[in-house]
Amino acid sequence: MASVSFRNIQKAYGKVKVIHGIGFDIADGEFVVLVGPSGCGKSTLLRMLAGLEEITGGEILIDGKVVNDLESKDRDIAMVFQSYALYPHMTVRDNMAFSLKLRKADAAQTAQRVADAARILNLDALLDRYPRELSGGQRQRVAMGRAIVRDPKVFLFDEPLSNLDAKLRVAMRAEIKALHQRLKTTTVYVTHDQIEAMTMADRIVVMHDGIVEQIGTPLQLFDRPGNLFVAQFIGSPAMNVFKGTLRHRDGQAFVEAQGGLWPAGAARGRHGQAVHYGIRPGDIGLGPAGRGIAAQVVVVEPTGAETELVLQAGSEQLILVMHGRTTARPDEGVGLLIDGRKAHLFDEGSGQRID
Amino acid sequence: MKLKQVTAEAKLLLVGIPVLLWTIIPVYHMFLFAISPRDQATSGRLWPKDPTLQNFGHVFKQEHFYLNHFWLQLGNSLWIAVAVGVITLFIATTAAFAISRLKVKGGRTVMNLALFTYFIPAAFLAVPMYKTMATYGLLNNRWSLVLAMVTIASPYCIWVLKQASDKLPWELDEAARIDGATPLQLFRLVYLPLMVPSLVAVGTYSLLLAWNEYLYGFLLLSNEQHLTLAVALGNFLAADDSPWELLMATGFIYALPPAAIYYAFKRYMVSGLTAGAVKS
Repeated sequence: MASVSFRNIQKAYGKVKVIHGIGFDIADGEFVVLVGPSGCGKSTLLRMLAGLEEITGGEILIDGKVVNDLESKDRDIAMVFQSYALYPHMTVRDNMAFSLKLRKADAAQTAQRVADAARILNLDALLDRYPRELSGGQRQRVAMGRAIVRDPKVFLFDEPLSNLDAKLRVAMRAEIKALHQRLKTTTVYVTHDQIEAMTMADRIVVMHDGIVEQIGTPLQLFDRPGNLFVAQFIGSPAMNVFKGTLRHRDGQAFVEAQGGLWPAGAARGRHGQAVHYGIRPGDIGLGPAGRGIAAQVVVVEPTGAETELVLQAGSEQLILVMHGRTTARPDEGVGLLIDGRKAHLFDEGSGQRID
Repeated sequence: MKLKQVTAEAKLLLVGIPVLLWTIIPVYHMFLFAISPRDQATSGRLWPKDPTLQNFGHVFKQEHFYLNHFWLQLGNSLWIAVAVGVITLFIATTAAFAISRLKVKGGRTVMNLALFTYFIPAAFLAVPMYKTMATYGLLNNRWSLVLAMVTIASPYCIWVLKQASDKLPWELDEAARIDGATPLQLFRLVYLPLMVPSLVAVGTYSLLLAWNEYLYGFLLLSNEQHLTLAVALGNFLAADDSPWELLMATGFIYALPPAAIYYAFKRYMVSGLTAGAVKS
């Protein structure tokens, strides 16, 4: 178990810079998820930590020791790949024991550790099979088993669930989280799926275009996104965002947009400032026409426990999610009830949060 | 069967039967000569009146002037072919591993040069090769033919193995590196086992190339006791009254090992050993 630190990490391929100075710390035993759209540099960052990519600038520390010039094998890390990367010519047992064999570990001890890992991951019955004889989920578990057997300082996961179907992904998500709670090994997990990030992480690092947009716990990012990118990236369905002009009235802030005055809680920012107004689908209440902000129902999508509505307000389409069911029908006029304290304001130019 | 399948099959047969005949007829012709008594060899019949295995007996017992060193020459052929196969395989495998997996600098240049050698027909290089071997005093030494054949076979084998190596998932190397494998361990424990089908194919290719080689053997070896059987067979035609039935019997024997090798290794020629490594 160990802490990990990134200090002003940069990465360039020739003249093309892909990571522009990233720095943050991961505490011992923490589960940190790097999330962002494809091409944001999250996998590159992980691969630099793994020693699979050269570090162009900055320092990476594991357990307080700079590892820039260490080979992968000397960093005491284990990695689970998106493609599993199991050795096809070895049985599950040999796959899991491979790293220990290379280290010339004692045979009895190796067998013991493979057996322990297999028990944790429910692989006991599969130890003598070959990877080609396993299902996707089983292969994924073998890949994790291979990592566990090492008992490394840090686990690295590179989009490990992307190749699984939706149902299995949810199951494996819980399995990985349970595994972390049991082993308490420092974990760095890369995904492009914000739901995976939200459900699994102790802390999330949101990356975009080679920089860190925001670092925080899942709920911090959800409740107080630091900028427009994070606001729109985290949360599903995504936050409703549109442009408007900030107005102050009686110590309260409103945003004038789409022919209405959208409440934005206590006064902040500058009167007349051009802003983005953001409100999460779950933070809009549905009222009768004539109350709140006027809107029209476009589509009603019941999912059972929740109902999702697509609404038209001015020229803007909004998503609203409510618990339970509604009698609202398409083309019906409704009123949107908004608690201004739940609204998010971002400067139109910089995209930064206004508090 | 539906009409569509029937026509598809008919088309395949239409192509397949001529190809089969084209291949089989010369072999059958050779076989026919080999089992004919001497006076009936050129009778032009589809099956000899008195088929006999006597010719093979003559060959095995070395009962002819041209066959005085049959077993020795067969041994030479085998020795040279195996040596060429093993050495080429070693060179090509290590080169392909270094270029494809370790990404050594200059790898691309080596590949381009390897391809470039195929613009020059091997026959053009025969005389320079002869001069070279003479310079090193290797003429009439089995090693001269081995070295020449390794030179000719290696570029193609490197090329083929490099292509095959490129298809192995890169993550396997990365996983092995993280697991603590040195490049040599990666080569031995991960790369070689996964390359077996390609290695067998390439090894067979170079082995048979040497086994079948005539021109270089003819040039570089001259002493009867050093000749390969392929060259010795050519010498049958030196006289006016060539013993055709013995020539064909010997040729038939010479053709058997390649056929056996192909048959034994055919399962390696098409194989999916990498199935299950990564999601496909």
